[in-house]
Amino acid sequence: MADDYRVIGTPVVRPDGAEMISGQAVYGPDVTQPGMLWGKILRSPLPHARIRSIDVEKARALPGVTVISAHDVPDRRYGYAIEDEQIFAVEKVRYAGEPVAAAAAPDEERALEALSLIDVEYEELPAVFTAAEGARDGAPLVHEELGPARSVYLASWNPVPGTNIIHQASHHRGDVDAALARADYVFEDTFHASQIHHCYMEPHATLASVRGSEVTVWTCSQEVFQLRTLLAGLFAIPESRMRVINTKVGGGFGGKIEPRLEPVAVALSMHSRKPVKMVMTRAEEFTAAAGSTPATVTVKTGVMKDGTLAARDIDFLWDTGAHAEGLPPSNRAMKDGNGPYRVHDLRISSTLVYTNKMRGTQLRGLGVPEGAFAIESQMDMIAERLGMDPLELRLKNILQEGDINSIDDVVQSIGLQECLESVAREIGWGEPKPPNVGRGLAVIAKSPTTHSSISAAYVQFNEDGSAQVLVGASEIGQGMTVVMCQIAAEVLGLPVEQVGISSADTATTPYDRGTFSSRVTFYTGMAVKIAAEDARNQLLDVASRMVEIPREDLAVAEERVVSPVHPELSLTFREVLERAHTSERPILGRGTYGGKGDYPTLPHKAQRKEYVPGWKYAAQAVEAEIDEETGIIRVRRIASAHDVGKSLNPTSVDGQIVGGVVMGLGYALHERLQFDNGRIVNPSFMDYKIPSSQEIPEIAPIAVEVPLPEGPFGAKGIGELAIVGIAPAIGNAIHQVLGVRLKELPLFPERVLEAVESQRKDHGG
Amino acid sequence: MALLDLKVNGQEAQVEAPDTALLLDVLRERLFLTGAKRGCETSHCGCCTVRVDGMAVHSCVVLAARCQGKEITTVEGCGDGMELDRLQRLFLEHGAVQCGYCGPGMLMAAKALLERNPQPTLDEVKKGLDGNLCRCTGYTPIFDAILAYSRGA
Repeated sequence: MADDYRVIGTPVVRPDGAEMISGQAVYGPDVTQPGMLWGKILRSPLPHARIRSIDVEKARALPGVTVISAHDVPDRRYGYAIEDEQIFAVEKVRYAGEPVAAAAAPDEERALEALSLIDVEYEELPAVFTAAEGARDGAPLVHEELGPARSVYLASWNPVPGTNIIHQASHHRGDVDAALARADYVFEDTFHASQIHHCYMEPHATLASVRGSEVTVWTCSQEVFQLRTLLAGLFAIPESRMRVINTKVGGGFGGKIEPRLEPVAVALSMHSRKPVKMVMTRAEEFTAAAGSTPATVTVKTGVMKDGTLAARDIDFLWDTGAHAEGLPPSNRAMKDGNGPYRVHDLRISSTLVYTNKMRGTQLRGLGVPEGAFAIESQMDMIAERLGMDPLELRLKNILQEGDINSIDDVVQSIGLQECLESVAREIGWGEPKPPNVGRGLAVIAKSPTTHSSISAAYVQFNEDGSAQVLVGASEIGQGMTVVMCQIAAEVLGLPVEQVGISSADTATTPYDRGTFSSRVTFYTGMAVKIAAEDARNQLLDVASRMVEIPREDLAVAEERVVSPVHPELSLTFREVLERAHTSERPILGRGTYGGKGDYPTLPHKAQRKEYVPGWKYAAQAVEAEIDEETGIIRVRRIASAHDVGKSLNPTSVDGQIVGGVVMGLGYALHERLQFDNGRIVNPSFMDYKIPSSQEIPEIAPIAVEVPLPEGPFGAKGIGELAIVGIAPAIGNAIHQVLGVRLKELPLFPERVLEAVESQRKDHGG
Repeated sequence: MALLDLKVNGQEAQVEAPDTALLLDVLRERLFLTGAKRGCETSHCGCCTVRVDGMAVHSCVVLAARCQGKEITTVEGCGDGMELDRLQRLFLEHGAVQCGYCGPGMLMAAKALLERNPQPTLDEVKKGLDGNLCRCTGYTPIFDAILAYSRGA
């Protein structure tokens, strides 16, 4: 691909940067409206209990206070994955943290006072706290009522009636049992991935205002359109009367996809007839928002003596907590669970189980980190047994151009080998090192998002020849605003400063499925590119009529219409726009993209429409110092190479890689939501530690560019992958130094020491 | 309630607030300076960092009443009108701002650090930012921006 772009591939500074670093950007907690009230939620203190009674009368007696509970809101279920939730608990509570009632008052203190006056009488019920317990016959049921529930997300949703198993899926190819029987070696290992929290710095915040028949919701969401549909349905209002406006979003990572405060805020505003603002405390974030969906992963791999992977049987057991938001990760594992390897005989099965805990949801990489910890740890175990170099074993088995991947697609546009070789080089793989230093590798793949992954964009010329991009995807920090401006600027022949961009608003921006699963650069980016091309062509049409030169002979360059055939021609955009706005019509380009291929349920491949482009690949390597006496792991260097297709903005790409790596470091070393009988006992940044400035190693981000023909200027997504491989790579480095294998995250020092101790015992030492 | 005399970003402001009012709440709710953010309630995230007599403090745990007679500087006091100052520009050029929620606090912590120690080493920068969490950037671009500033880049 010719690489003579003006704007694409340059480190353009974000158009929204100045408002953020000057403190002027309006985030969820910064929104105000005249006369607004503050809303607070009364949450269940118990993990599983029948509600005998709720008495709100004393609270309602406070002046200026509105109090609501289940009786006061529509009796409807909602949920993006499975409709298994109501605004307030009805009849029973299913986790400690579930909303039971809410109050709105002129200030937060008064609202909290009202909550303290609500009497709820509970009768505690037996509860389940792990997926394994929950999946057992006769376990207490989290949702007895799920018969009539509906799944919006899945065409074919497969619960096991009368149990806590809300979904089971499997993907099967070839004859796994026969292939395992033929293999020279069979490895079977079980790994445990912990539940972590997104820890976006900005807490959930929303402001709902009901005026007449119009509802407006300002919120820091990753998906304003999905949210609008859900709220409109829940309150039986046409979507034309339900407006969701994105505030600035202070980080999401998957935690701001599904509704949290919005249904309560709308209900409080309806009852109080005033705007109602709600902001979560950090403790509420940790105990009542959501975490990742943790999994126990059992991998059985058959290997030939020469290191060829012969067969794999992978079983995922997911703990989704009290609501089935773990469905997307559990389903994603069907496609991505095997990692980027050539394995013909393959079986992947996934079981999603309800428990009486705060829900698990999507978190950066949704389902891929859990699988990769298992697969990439076991790859090193296989290498050791065969006496092979882990790098060689991977190089022998990773997908290459033209291979058939786990879901029978032909692999196209893959730069994985280059990624792997570049991180190995960068980390000094095979070079001498002190005995207390280990190096570890991991390779990663993530499938494209297919389900309803559609985007639209408008690109409009302003009177002065500058342009406006309108998209409904959410800027959550990843930098999509700058990338969309770059794409439009490149196509339109404008300097990037001459392109403005709106933020998502369901009343003014065109439909976009939203920001999740590394999809925006690709899908929204393509919509913007198509819209910009449309706008450019319309502009050239007007110019063509003005100068009587055929459109085919015209082009745009530096804010002018030019013609290679008529070098003397130079018409400014402003001149063309003046004509358009006075004697023709405004120029509004339109672009849509997506709607390709879907894998609603993998066993029924007949439903697949076509090959879906946009698989993403990466390799990561770490170098860590391990202290055998204390078990402390000090990561010294990390290299992370990503096949990004084309790096549209190197600052943003490096930022996504380095930020993801550091999140992966927390996931690997110390992050974990800790439960005691279903209650989270570490709900603060003191007890739940995320990486701080002091523990940041040297990080080398590497962008490998194997263009994706279908992507905007060849680009693929990048947002999630860098979190994925850090945990197994560190686990592999630990093994290299101490010879012990840790199969449970996080890799706490005490777990390192325990493993060393049990190894000593095993060896009679 | 008390009548507080505060000096914020060089301007005198008289605010009526409870004796127990936190500086962060007074800045955000009374003076409408929402640049300082609340990310937690326990003084761990640093999103609320402002400067009081030059020191970087977590305004979510400081009583506003204790700040009378002191110079309070918030992110709104940086730059000049539409113009960003040099450190703000370097933050943007180095990609030190992703979601931006930690940005104002991070910037104020960086300013306090650079005033104390105009030529910090990488390790000193890491220590200087220890009270400020960021979930997006992985910190490295923030270090780069601060080091570039001290190099005069």
